[in-house]
Amino acid sequence: MKYAFFVGCTTLARLEGYELSTRRVADRLGIELVDMPGSSCCGTTYLETLDHKTALAVAARNICIAEEMGLDIVTVCNGCTEVLTKANKALKDDGALRDEVNDLLGDIGKRFKGVVEVKHFTRVLKDDIGLDKIRSEVSRPFKGLRVGAHYGCHLLRPSDVMSYDDPEAPTMLDDLIDVTGARSVAYPNKLECCTGSVLGIREKVTWSVGLEKVETVKKYADIMVTVCPDCYMIYERCQLMAERSPDVPVVHYPQLLGLALGLGYDELGLEKNRIDASRILKYLEV
Amino acid sequence: MPEEKEIRISQTEINFRRRLSKVPGAERLMLCYQCGTCTADCPVAMRVEEFRPRRIARLAVYGQKDRLLNGDTLWLCAGCYTCYERCPQKVRVSEIISALRKLAVEEGLLHSTYKALMKSIAETGYIYEIGEFENEMREEEGLPPAPKPEVGEIETIMKKTGFTKFIGGG
Repeated sequence: MKYAFFVGCTTLARLEGYELSTRRVADRLGIELVDMPGSSCCGTTYLETLDHKTALAVAARNICIAEEMGLDIVTVCNGCTEVLTKANKALKDDGALRDEVNDLLGDIGKRFKGVVEVKHFTRVLKDDIGLDKIRSEVSRPFKGLRVGAHYGCHLLRPSDVMSYDDPEAPTMLDDLIDVTGARSVAYPNKLECCTGSVLGIREKVTWSVGLEKVETVKKYADIMVTVCPDCYMIYERCQLMAERSPDVPVVHYPQLLGLALGLGYDELGLEKNRIDASRILKYLEV
Repeated sequence: MPEEKEIRISQTEINFRRRLSKVPGAERLMLCYQCGTCTADCPVAMRVEEFRPRRIARLAVYGQKDRLLNGDTLWLCAGCYTCYERCPQKVRVSEIISALRKLAVEEGLLHSTYKALMKSIAETGYIYEIGEFENEMREEEGLPPAPKPEVGEIETIMKKTGFTKFIGGG
């Protein structure tokens, strides 16, 4: 099983722990992740709101690289997932639009063909590897660990484009958490946005939204699990900025799964998480 | 009872509404019946009094260009698509806001925070610079160097669409 690995700016630049754990878990489960030479930022969910054609062409340029490699794309950021999925779908569905964008891409020697898929890593785990297979690979399950899962927005929405899971009652991530032996709990406003996009406009709003969720999760769970670098940074940073000691570790999903698969704490980059997450080790069955 | 006032929309305002409705995604603007589901479920509106998605839809129907394009209003949308999912009329205020931002860009009113991000993509290929320092850090962790984007290709695309001039480039 082989994929073109689209890491995305935030993970590439700032979250070694997320990238390391993704690569280790993929390796452990027989998923080959191949780097995409010459790839850039997906364009961001912002660019989509600023200029339609530019956004499509910048995203399509990256998709073309995967097409040239003959591989489907794996992403680890909700934003990249949405941007690339949306462009891929729009250009596959609309021939006139595809011609216009291909006219732009022609100048740089590229052409969008529409022959690959875009999948978030969790989707590869759930659909391509499968829960049964993962369960059979879990050598060191968690026992009694309660997890507050945060899906984030763009994995699920806009649902007519993403077709990932039920946008109002998703279960994919919960299932992937439960398979490690940990228990994904229900908590109020579980699907609420981290509002990371507002950080550069009204910083205080984002930090308070973050802290509110962290405080809620604290009542129901021992740790929080994310599948997007931007959501991760909001829930980690809001605690680091608050005038009290941070007490809800935020963990990237592949780090959680990796531990259950028998991989080591440092190997999964967990020492890179800025809120000490070592408490989760005591929930691992020996 | 408040005094009833007749609202008259000028031709300029009608023209602006027409221009807006032609932006992909904003076609269903006139179907908004102001139920307020968007505002009620908006994570930003819950905390920021001046951000009212329902009001944005109303002002758009009235073609209130200046009130919509000036200030921070449009840039406070987190793009979470909650209103998109729940809008009973499929007007989808998130899409109206996205369309209004495109018009703001055309009017030279792109928010400075967004402009800086877009400039970084144009100049480095990433939203943050990922240079020697970052790659050394990556190497220490046993990670391969970050892909080196073909910046010239992105520049070519942005020049051809005309986006370059909106982010302060040639």
